[in-house]
Amino acid sequence: MLVLRLALRTIMRRKGRMVLIGSLVAFGTFLSVFGTAFSSSAGEASRASIIDNFTGDLIVYSARSKELPSPFAFNTPLPNIRNADEVGRFLSASPEVLTWASFAQNYGLVQVERDGRKVDLPFIFYAVEPGPYRKVFPNVDVKDGSFFGIREDGALSPPGTGVTGDGSTGDRARGVMISAFQNGQYLRNYGVQLRVGERVTLLGITEGGANALPSRVTGIFEPKHYKSVFNYINFVDAATYSELYNYTGVTALPEALNAGLAAAQGGEDAIFGLADAGIGELDLGSLRSEALSGFTMIAVKLKDHATVDRFIAAIEATDGLEVKAARWDAASGFYASISKALQAFIWLATGLVFLVVALIFANTLIINVVERTAEIGTMRAIGSDKSFVRNMFLAETLILNLAAALVGMVAAGVVMAALSGGVPLPETISQFLIGGGRLPLRANAWHFVQTLVAVAVVSVLATLYPVRVATSITPLKAMSER
Amino acid sequence: MSVVELADVRKSYKLGDTVVEALRGVSVSIDKGEFLAIAGPSGSGKSTLLNMLGCIDVPSSGRVTIDGADVGGLSDRELTRYRRTKIGFIFQSFNLIPVLDVYENIEFPLLVKSKLTRKEREALVMRFIEEVGLDDRIKNKPNELSGGQRQRVAIARALVTRPLIVLADEPTANLDSGTGIRIVELMRSINESDKTTFIFSTHDAHIMREAKRVINVLDGKVVGYDGAEV
Repeated sequence: MLVLRLALRTIMRRKGRMVLIGSLVAFGTFLSVFGTAFSSSAGEASRASIIDNFTGDLIVYSARSKELPSPFAFNTPLPNIRNADEVGRFLSASPEVLTWASFAQNYGLVQVERDGRKVDLPFIFYAVEPGPYRKVFPNVDVKDGSFFGIREDGALSPPGTGVTGDGSTGDRARGVMISAFQNGQYLRNYGVQLRVGERVTLLGITEGGANALPSRVTGIFEPKHYKSVFNYINFVDAATYSELYNYTGVTALPEALNAGLAAAQGGEDAIFGLADAGIGELDLGSLRSEALSGFTMIAVKLKDHATVDRFIAAIEATDGLEVKAARWDAASGFYASISKALQAFIWLATGLVFLVVALIFANTLIINVVERTAEIGTMRAIGSDKSFVRNMFLAETLILNLAAALVGMVAAGVVMAALSGGVPLPETISQFLIGGGRLPLRANAWHFVQTLVAVAVVSVLATLYPVRVATSITPLKAMSER
Repeated sequence: MSVVELADVRKSYKLGDTVVEALRGVSVSIDKGEFLAIAGPSGSGKSTLLNMLGCIDVPSSGRVTIDGADVGGLSDRELTRYRRTKIGFIFQSFNLIPVLDVYENIEFPLLVKSKLTRKEREALVMRFIEEVGLDDRIKNKPNELSGGQRQRVAIARALVTRPLIVLADEPTANLDSGTGIRIVELMRSINESDKTTFIFSTHDAHIMREAKRVINVLDGKVVGYDGAEV
């Protein structure tokens, strides 16, 4: 009680200085509470937005790939997933999986005729199974036409074959979806604007050369989120993509040809010898074509995000799939890093503020100690232990700083309540951080508790040296003080 | 019966490269109930001698015995306990705790590790407040008191723990002569009524005359008692 009484009265006696210190502590507390709430909200919103808009909880990709999947790495496409069907069956059979969608990224040309001349328009695109993709990533706002015949409510095409999230082909309408922004760029740079239903020729580059495929524009869209990226990305349906890039084959070759090829063991003469054996006279009509996927990535959404690491381990360990999987943050390119960098910046800024406050506080306490040399010496002379002096300064520090921290927390609470509709951010920052819009601020008790603990710890640390100076004052100082 | 004995006490300390000998073999014996002045000019060593007596400094050599115990080998914690229980201090600059009022300043030594109840403390504090004549100033803070009143508070604070000896370092130096005499008279009356041993340093001849015995110190040595050469 004596210690508390002395501490309180000393604070009141030195009001001016204490108000200054308290203001700094309150500001640091405000910054810490608001900053950590902002930071964690941004991290959570960024995670949710990335998962919802372009990665899912994880992305499955070929085990042959030397690169991590990145939805925006068009210049270094990943290898195709060879066992796409088996992977699809694995995902469909996994109880942890909510939904999934296969896609690939590539680039090509859209050729149109205007006034009798052909205009080649460059475009980068996602090749998607329209139904599953739209179900997994509802990021497309169709402005004209349709998303390959898939309604906005995700109504899917009839079941078919191929790698899909739910067994449907989703190829009701074939062609290309053009971003409205991209279309504007075409108009500005090429004087051409594509229209829904317009016939175009798609040009794709393959290992064998350039392929051309008649197609048409099925729709114009705007991305709902991450406009900074998806404004530049267009869509091609999976069937068109397979055809354009020769991802087709036959379901089965005649048994005799397979046996002959096996017996040839790669020998050139033996292979050509097969023709002499009459195996080359195939009845082409008996062959059935199949569409190979050509997909390089499968985005998977899980029922419970917490199971992501376990699920990745399971799929990578499954024999025969020949795939790897990357968590959403690893697969999001630099987008997850932006959020992490922001969090790190806020932590650093908060830490620096606390450091500055601690230094100013320690300095002020040392001045207090020097000014109170006679008082401390007197206390020591008339029987106070060093621990009494130590406790007195600790009590002063904790009372002042915790009271200031409460003020800072109340201020932070008021500001956060006022921003309950979301924090307005500059559009560019918002786009990169959370895909656009206001940042929903989610504060919880932990932000307040951790700040209070931080204030207490920093206060005690800032008091260590001044207390050491204070406890080194001997009673002799009281006697020699004139 | 002596309560304090100093035997060949020496104290030296470094001041830059120079070694200053503040006490050079002082031997003193002080009896219980004495009202003793340590006299000498500034720098003579009287304050250092007082510090030895008050257990707030330790000798470089020699022996200091208080109430039969050699305090030379005591730790800081033990010395603190010794001061708390055996010694009362009156300072030249009063050294009251500025944030506490008169009552609380006097009560302070009782609150530091004392096992007294609130009522027992109150009885003791009120007794000494009355004894020093500050009944009407109980709630005043030190900055609301005159110099003489502050020193009265300091006297009550020094006495409230019922110490064996009270040490006063030039207790009248910051007071006008009239107030100084009244303070010494107060100390003396308490000495006579309670038989508390008072030891005070002074270089004021007027105050010195109030002492029953005077130890004269010069250049770190006791040079005489009551003006007589040793």
